[in-house]
Amino acid sequence: MIPLYGFLQGDSMGLLIMAREDDTLGRLAEKLQSAADVRVAPLKRPRVMVAGRLLDLEMTVAAAGLTALDKFEVGGTR
Amino acid sequence: MLKRAQWLDLARKLDWKPTYVSDAEVFPIAAAGRPWLPYEEWAGWDEPFRTTYAEYVATQHEKETSLWAVKESAGRPEDFAKLPREWKSAVKLHAATLPLAEFAAVIGNLRAARFGRTSAWRTTALFGALDEFRHTQIPLLLMNDLVASDPQLDWTHRLYHSNNWVAIAARHLVDELLAGANPIEFAVAANFVFETGFTNLQFVGLTALARQVGDRMLEKMLGSIQSDEARHAQIGEPVLRTLVRHDRDYAQYLCDKWFWRSWLLFAVVTGFAMDYLTPLPARTSSFKEFVQEWVVDQYLRMLEDVGLSRPWYWPAFEVALNHYHHMVYASAYTYRASVWFDLVVPGPDERRWLRQHYPGSWDELDPIWERISARWQKTDPGNDFGVHGTAIIGFCNLCQLVLCNGTPTKNSATTMQKDGQKYIFCSEPCRWIFEQEQTRYAEHKDIVKRVLAGEAPANLVAMLRNYFGLSFETWGKDAYGGNYPWATRTP
Repeated sequence: MIPLYGFLQGDSMGLLIMAREDDTLGRLAEKLQSAADVRVAPLKRPRVMVAGRLLDLEMTVAAAGLTALDKFEVGGTR
Repeated sequence: MLKRAQWLDLARKLDWKPTYVSDAEVFPIAAAGRPWLPYEEWAGWDEPFRTTYAEYVATQHEKETSLWAVKESAGRPEDFAKLPREWKSAVKLHAATLPLAEFAAVIGNLRAARFGRTSAWRTTALFGALDEFRHTQIPLLLMNDLVASDPQLDWTHRLYHSNNWVAIAARHLVDELLAGANPIEFAVAANFVFETGFTNLQFVGLTALARQVGDRMLEKMLGSIQSDEARHAQIGEPVLRTLVRHDRDYAQYLCDKWFWRSWLLFAVVTGFAMDYLTPLPARTSSFKEFVQEWVVDQYLRMLEDVGLSRPWYWPAFEVALNHYHHMVYASAYTYRASVWFDLVVPGPDERRWLRQHYPGSWDELDPIWERISARWQKTDPGNDFGVHGTAIIGFCNLCQLVLCNGTPTKNSATTMQKDGQKYIFCSEPCRWIFEQEQTRYAEHKDIVKRVLAGEAPANLVAMLRNYFGLSFETWGKDAYGGNYPWATRTP
């Protein structure tokens, strides 16, 4: 498992999300939204950004170049 | 017999030129601080209180007598029990973060009482050490009598001895600011920035709220401590003026570093108390208004007066003033079992008040409380874990606090890779401080790194019980069990 720092748009804090290398970024966004669910309503169409770049939700964590303790952001519309 | 004015300076400023050893050996730079300057540069050092030991003892005796009288009349368990539930949490938060930090300040003051560069500075620092010892003892004494009726108050003494996340953050600050600093950094950081700049917020602002709430004991305790702070804080300015004359960049750095670090602490401790844990009818001003009056206006004036500029990160500070303590509070509420005091959900009236006082930022924060409130409406009263987070929280590698800076729309956390290690910071100022003194900070492990190293459990309940040292009796809950008049539950 790869620990990543996730930041969900609308949330008050950053969380540590445990990801698998073969998780898609869409799945990663789901994990973060689930972890922040007590504070933040789910996004209709989440977008994942890594190092300022908007990435395809089908891309895997490994393909996105994410390694332990990297940061990702999830935004979109509610 | 000589009059006071005739002998005072002889007693306070009894300096001489050592002949058997050099000044540099009596006051080595490692202990006395940099820049190392010849005695003549410090000879004009003075402060306005010019107290004698006899006067100090007489004044303190009077204050102790008066404090004791209030303890006897308003400090009993039945008095504490009558206070509003959320205010009791403000007391627990303040009482736990204060006394052992004050004890660390005894050490900082004693180092200045030995290695400060003039006798007058050393004398005032000695009074400062006595003050801080008093500030350790007062809350420990007052809260000790209440522990039997409220076990959360045991954290008044326990917090700094634990691995609770607040304790880790507080020790990271206090060890450097108070216990480890040399007299020059201590004078600028603790006496000038922390005490002159910030403690009025706690000791004047919170005292006013304690009066409004009817908490005579806390009002008296804070007021009694504040008068000591006002005196020994005067050490800071004359040290800073000398520093500015000889190394302006270093003076600016120390002020900027410690303003940011102090701000983060007070935002949590005082921000929570003023905007969430004070019952609405007792609130006089918002935390932001208190900060603007007691910190911003005065501190910027003082900086200008000594020839320094406002911190480079001022725009980030202004964003934080509108958001930071709100973001930490919302986060702490949803992880309330990780602290030793209970928290409350701001109801419709409180949220209206917050919108009124934070017109530029509350619209971004309100949906979080809308969500939490809706969750309570679907959860049985008292079922705290139904409205609670379970994921591991991210912490800043400088301040060790939760990654809550920036805004809900754009968290300002920033990462860095250096010498094969990865770091994350809640804000650009925290990253900047880390980069300036990397060797000092790099090896400190935040909670995430402790979990990944197998030093702390990843499971929330194991973390609370076995690592933070909390139990069901002491961990934080919703102060009303989620049973709010506005929380209408559908059967």
